[in-house]
Amino acid sequence: MNNHQTRNRICYTVFLLIILLVGYFLENLYYIQVLTFIGINTLLALALNMLMGYAGQISLGHAAFYGIGAYGTAILTVHYGFSPWLALPAAILSAMIVAYIVGIPTLKLSGYYLGMGTLGFGMIVNILFREWSSVTGGASGFIGIPALELGPISFASGRNYFFLVWGFVLIGFIACQRIIDSRIGRALRAIHDGENAAAAVGVDTRQLKLQIFVLSAAISALAGFLYAHLVYFISPGSFSFIASIRMVTMVVIGGMASIWGALLGASLLTLLPEWLHAFSEFEMVVYGLILMVVMIFLPRGLTRGLLDIYERTRKKNEH
Amino acid sequence: MQEMLQYLFSGITNGAIYAVIAIGFSMLYNSTDLINFAHGEFVMLGALCMVTFFGTLHLPIVLAILLAIASVAVAGLVFERLAIRSVKNPEPIVLIIITVGASIFLRGIGMILWGKDAHTIASFSSHPPLDIAGAKLLSQSIWIIVILLLTAVGLQLFYKKTLTGKAMEANAISKRAAWIVGIPSKLMIMLAFGLSTAMGGLAGVIIAPITMSSYDMGTMLGLKGFCAAMLGGLGSLWGALIGGFLLGILEAMGVGFVSSGLKDATAFLLLLFILYVKPGGIISSASVKRF
Amino acid sequence: MSTELPLLKIETVDKAFGGIQALSDITFALNPGSITGLIGPNGAGKTTLFNLISGVFPADKGEIIFNGAGIENIKSHQLVELGIARTFQNVELFESMTVLENILVGQHTRTRCGIWGSILRFPGVIAEEKKAREFALELLDFVGLKGHADKTSGDLPFGWQRLLEIARALASRPKLLLLDEPAAGLNIVETMQLGDLIRKIRNQGITVLLVEHDMSLTMEISDWIVVLDQGKKIAQGSPRTVQADEAVIAAYLGTAGKKE
Ligand SMILES: Nc1ncnc2c1ncn2[C@@H]1O[C@H](COP(=O)(O)OP(=O)(O)O)[C@@H](O)[C@H]1O
Ligand SMILES: [Mg+2]
Repeated sequence: MNNHQTRNRICYTVFLLIILLVGYFLENLYYIQVLTFIGINTLLALALNMLMGYAGQISLGHAAFYGIGAYGTAILTVHYGFSPWLALPAAILSAMIVAYIVGIPTLKLSGYYLGMGTLGFGMIVNILFREWSSVTGGASGFIGIPALELGPISFASGRNYFFLVWGFVLIGFIACQRIIDSRIGRALRAIHDGENAAAAVGVDTRQLKLQIFVLSAAISALAGFLYAHLVYFISPGSFSFIASIRMVTMVVIGGMASIWGALLGASLLTLLPEWLHAFSEFEMVVYGLILMVVMIFLPRGLTRGLLDIYERTRKKNEH
Repeated sequence: MQEMLQYLFSGITNGAIYAVIAIGFSMLYNSTDLINFAHGEFVMLGALCMVTFFGTLHLPIVLAILLAIASVAVAGLVFERLAIRSVKNPEPIVLIIITVGASIFLRGIGMILWGKDAHTIASFSSHPPLDIAGAKLLSQSIWIIVILLLTAVGLQLFYKKTLTGKAMEANAISKRAAWIVGIPSKLMIMLAFGLSTAMGGLAGVIIAPITMSSYDMGTMLGLKGFCAAMLGGLGSLWGALIGGFLLGILEAMGVGFVSSGLKDATAFLLLLFILYVKPGGIISSASVKRF
Repeated sequence: MSTELPLLKIETVDKAFGGIQALSDITFALNPGSITGLIGPNGAGKTTLFNLISGVFPADKGEIIFNGAGIENIKSHQLVELGIARTFQNVELFESMTVLENILVGQHTRTRCGIWGSILRFPGVIAEEKKAREFALELLDFVGLKGHADKTSGDLPFGWQRLLEIARALASRPKLLLLDEPAAGLNIVETMQLGDLIRKIRNQGITVLLVEHDMSLTMEISDWIVVLDQGKKIAQGSPRTVQADEAVIAAYLGTAGKKE
């Protein structure tokens, strides 16, 4: 265990160093921007991975919480003149409250019904964004979201925003890692391995699932906040069913139950459109194929799956 | 009154379509315990195939319908053979992600083949709308309802009277028992996929003349069909019919008296309500029968 | 019987699944600090009774009284907190987790750290974690798995998995331990060691209810035997009286209503 802790500490220190080095020395502002988007997506993947990967509960409507974070801060800052730094906790809290209320009945469901329930929830929230135009700006979107600033520091420049986003990613990683390694994380993994046995050793499975659902909603809302103040303009399309599926795809590619997998999944899914020319035409075909192929051949995700294959061949060679 | 009747007609029409989609969900669920999240996309394929065969190529109507349904069923069989059967650990979470993947994939294919625009085609027949107490009932609506009822009766006969149908039913009740008496369960699963996706295709075919068909129409229709199936009790043929009509009418009334934006929300709220409160469907669970 | 208050009282309990009457009119009691053997042919309803006691599902009728209070409406995880722990007939470990982690999860109800505690790592949390690890290692030693703390539990040999499951149950510091066929799948040596372990557990003051098909083990270590057959209690008493009971012999030989 101590080994495990020192290894984690080294990993996170290296991670911090890389963030700093890239942030200061990468010249090309376009790349900085792309990396900032990767950071936001990493937060999303991390959020969903806590729920799907560790607690084993699927959500096909998680973009709803992402959207609540984004619309929450947009509405509070533009309509009510909140400072964004006040809007941040308010938006996160709203997402948590919604998650709590929705989670109580939804997390009683399992399997396909849980999938359909979360899907339906995501759709309803998206319809709300689209139809409640007096507040959300409707289908045409919400414009004029202010830039972030903190005293003399302006986050309008790509570089500062990069540091802000990746700072949150680092904090998110460490927090989630600590949860995973704690009593709570063990109980979560226990639920994943066997819900009945977990209950039989005293884990309140219902409450724990709810807590993780709420935590996951909070991280998603944080990502939504960061997204809104990065692009100044949001519309319902960014939080639609496809957005939820993009989150699932990131988790599946990166590997369920893997913190660093979130980074991998988010990077691949952000870069793929950059690499593939005329990707937008093929975006859905590619996502669909990825989901199917990875789930059929490497159900534990790319990272785990490739590691498994590596270990199997190594064992074979040893024999 | 007249307005109300108009809403009722549109509700019944939509309801019939939801019912056909719901039947597809239920059939597959009965034989495989699987819920196909891509079912709505097969509806989309049906509608867009119809656009091509009937709207663009001007094939005779019956031929166009049969070709469209057959194409969708073939796509369903290919999906079963290549994706579903390759799954090594068929847990729900894996199958959900695979079928969701298929739905996104098919949507993408739909977009590439038919573009982003919405398409319309003519009705199956060019009769003028019926005028009932001032409200108009489209000829296509009558087609839809008649086709639904014929399908339901046909399926009932298939399951009760033909050997294949009985074998499928036996397989649905107990795979092990069916296997012991020599019913090959792999074949039955394939057949269930073929029939279920064909139902999806049929729903697409009959909806094409009264809607704007486009690559992204499937998700909504799939969810509503699922909602209808849950309302009537998943796995029951007559439940699917009742659930479909109920959802269609409720939704139409929602548009009529609340707002059109809420139309889609009605279905999902209803779905959540059913899932939370009465997952056995509104028809008392005791009376829910399998096919 | 002794005058002590029983730790667990089962009173006129019924349970049916659809048409199958799995248990009917079961009544018996467990004295604190005793080992009670619950025996009966397959399908007699033993596991069902365990599920009732551990709150997996409720009884149709009757009462289950633990430590003086009815436990009908108490959920599984709360029963663990009250002091009821169990193992499963088909070992149910958390297979992807290590041996040590399994026992740490077993201490879930005896530790407090929540989400905030785990993120912020308050001094109290660290102390609690340290104590939990120490206790887990002690338990490993106690059941004879010393030195295997960091192995993945799913990779252990079957006999060790049974021991680990017992250690995991003990981790919640139970008053009552329910063991469902702990010797199934063990060889003779392992079974003997298991008998010693169960005695050791009892000597710590933990009451044991033992379902077991290995008669020599059950008869040797139990203070009291309850016999079920087809959902009914057909006999109870000391091992010696039960072994001589005609109804019991008949049930085991499968000749219901045996005549002289
Ligand atoms: N969850 C359940 N659902 C339906 N029937 C059950 C269930 N659990 C047990 N049974 C039935 O109850 C009877 C008793 O089973 P069980 O308690 O497992 O017996 P034992 O453990 O004594 O072998 C059996 O007929 C079994 O099929
Ligand atoms: Mg048993």
